[in-house]
Amino acid sequence: MFVLNRLAAALPTLFIVSLLVFWFVDLIPGDPARILAGPMASQDEVEVIRDRMGLNEPGPQRYLHFVGGLFDPDIAVSLRTGRPVATEISERLPNTLIIAIGGLALGVILGTTTGIICALRQGTWVDTVITILTLGGISMPIYWLGLLCIWLFAVHLGWLPAAGAESWRHFVLPILAVATRPAATFSRLVTASLLEVMGRDYLDTARSKGLTEAQVILRHALRNSLVAAVSVAGVQFGAMLGGSVITETVFGIPGIGRLLVDAVSRADYPVIQYSILMFAFFFVVINLVTDLITLWLDPRMRQNVRAR
Amino acid sequence: MPGTMTRFFISAATALSLSVSAGALFAAPEGVLRVAVGADPETFDPHFNDLPTGNTVDKLVLEGLFRLDNQNNVLPELAEEWGFSDDGMTFTVKIKPDRVFSNGDPLDAAAVAASFNRLLDPEVGAIYRGLYSSIGEAVATDDTTVEFKMATPNGHILLLLSSTTATIVNTKAIETMGAEYSRMPVGSGPYLVESFVGGERYRLVPNPTYQGDYPATLEAIDFLVVPEDGSRMALMETGEVHIVERVPPEAVETINALPQAEVIQPPSMFSINMELVLRGPLEDPKVREALNLSLDREGMVQGILGGLGTVSVGMVGPGTQDELRRTYDPIPFDPVRAKELIAEAGYQPGQIELTMTCPTGRYIKDVQVCQAVQAQFQAIGVNAKANIVDRGTWSNVAATPPADRTDNMALLGRATAGIDFTLFRLFSTGVSANTTGFSDPKVDELLLAGRSTTDIDKQREIYGEIQDIIWDTQPFVFLWYQKQALGVADSVSGFEVQPNETMNFDQVRLTE
Repeated sequence: MFVLNRLAAALPTLFIVSLLVFWFVDLIPGDPARILAGPMASQDEVEVIRDRMGLNEPGPQRYLHFVGGLFDPDIAVSLRTGRPVATEISERLPNTLIIAIGGLALGVILGTTTGIICALRQGTWVDTVITILTLGGISMPIYWLGLLCIWLFAVHLGWLPAAGAESWRHFVLPILAVATRPAATFSRLVTASLLEVMGRDYLDTARSKGLTEAQVILRHALRNSLVAAVSVAGVQFGAMLGGSVITETVFGIPGIGRLLVDAVSRADYPVIQYSILMFAFFFVVINLVTDLITLWLDPRMRQNVRAR
Repeated sequence: MPGTMTRFFISAATALSLSVSAGALFAAPEGVLRVAVGADPETFDPHFNDLPTGNTVDKLVLEGLFRLDNQNNVLPELAEEWGFSDDGMTFTVKIKPDRVFSNGDPLDAAAVAASFNRLLDPEVGAIYRGLYSSIGEAVATDDTTVEFKMATPNGHILLLLSSTTATIVNTKAIETMGAEYSRMPVGSGPYLVESFVGGERYRLVPNPTYQGDYPATLEAIDFLVVPEDGSRMALMETGEVHIVERVPPEAVETINALPQAEVIQPPSMFSINMELVLRGPLEDPKVREALNLSLDREGMVQGILGGLGTVSVGMVGPGTQDELRRTYDPIPFDPVRAKELIAEAGYQPGQIELTMTCPTGRYIKDVQVCQAVQAQFQAIGVNAKANIVDRGTWSNVAATPPADRTDNMALLGRATAGIDFTLFRLFSTGVSANTTGFSDPKVDELLLAGRSTTDIDKQREIYGEIQDIIWDTQPFVFLWYQKQALGVADSVSGFEVQPNETMNFDQVRLTE
């Protein structure tokens, strides 16, 4: 029931996003047909392109056409390549997902590990070093970090290729680069929530049952930080999809982010519109999944939902 | 029909094809060349591609009736004989017999005509259709003869037919393949597209059915698309690629310092200028002369462009039909004289207010150039303001009719293969790309005369006079022609780049 409610609530969100995305074509400075035709084109040539883009039709009709494109891939075609936008997106989506999921996974593992270390070794030099690194990781722009990674691992050390997406080796640097921020965020989060519960009685109870310190931390103390961690992970995953625009440009990876940037610079409106709509859809799904996991993890919330 | 043709180019053509076949003792294709490009071509369909990276592939994968050499001279490719009818309204081309597309379809006169009629079809919406509007239609009269029925006489038809836009596409394959044709075009050139991963890379391999004079020299050419300058340069530094295009000014030194590569700087026909809107103070030739004298072009080319430019010596850039192009002495840098001219024109210092529209990231260091120009205008007492805008706004301003413009000038680059196309669109009274409001009855008359004559001496005279008038009246603040910069590994030989930024791999060899 809860899931259905949430899904129903997502529909208006998507509807509003679709309206905004559709409407923004009219807000962009300049005439899309003119941008596509280039400055040397004559007015007649621009008119032909405008006609082909359907820009001469009234607004509501264009919106229906746009929505229709969601159900019929042959309607929604790229102005540049003439191929269905769905094909363009589905060819590139895997690259974006590999980097986002890989980056998030690596970030969670690194962040949790360092977070536990910091909590256990609070105040020691290890804690200080990790804290400085995590601060750096949170503040460092991914663009700059990416170029530094290329310089160090590709140009200087020669271990990994600098750009492209031909083999798994090409994905190592981008995943490493995007993992930095979630790793840093998780590290801080895990440390803070562990420190909060470390002195609590229920951990002593666990210890008194004869559990090892590792079991106490992993099974009992860490569980407390999971709820917060899941919502942070959701936000981070969303941010990574958005950040793919930058990551994929720096590392020359053909993903959704690059598709969007290229489409913007080539004024390929259908590609821009449907990609943004897809990003919005992803955000809605991620939020839903995050909520579901939280619900599953935290019995108190489950009761709240039932009570409603 | 060939009997009645005026065969004015045939002897030259025979001489050329002889010299080409003399070099035709080719070794087997060898080596995989890797090239990093900055722009994703997205489509190789010559009727929709507008990027040099796409032209490069079209030139390798498709064949034209004619093609351009590295100096943009016209050479025959599929054409064997050609000429105009006496009234100049029919242009007949005989093509080489028994040619095939890479899928085995015959490349006969009917296929050639179909390819051109697709380019000319308004329903198809080819982006350069307007450029070819002087051709009414193409008709195949037998297996090897194509007649171009002219809508209006055009003495520059060879140039039109040698552009990669006019390469021959297989319309039958387009029908069956649909949009996929744009990434895997079926042509008759020395290579074919083996794979295309959108936005990342594409691979060309030799076309086994190729019968022309420029057979493949490489086992494969891999193109990698890397838009970010820093990452693209890193590929050259790590030796992952042999050629990298669009080396930014700040990276030239780094690439040159590598033991295995160096930067080449071939000229580009891109002519960069401030195109003035001719009204208010800018109607006064003295003011325009003052603005032109106020700029230290050489200083900007060295200081801002890092040497990637050549100071203008005429409106049209090098490689734009050099046989018709005229060049002049560079405009001197003389701010003292510029100030005098402003005073002579009757203006107080600071009285003239001018706004310039500048794009971001369209031309080499365009923003910095605009800021420097603004400062130098101010130094002669012209109150100039640089309005730096995004590409969409800039395209729109540059396409606005002069009467509706609210600014006084825009930074624009022009590069088209033909002198007729460039000058007609910019300087004919009232045509749509003429956004400066330039109007001179003499120029209008000469432009029409130049287009309809097929006599090269007459063309030279006519276009010479037009260029004189434009250089003298200064409807633009002339700046420079951009230079290209590409990093090329020492293991690559025979690599060249045309002034229109199309890469030429005809003679490329890899020694490793």
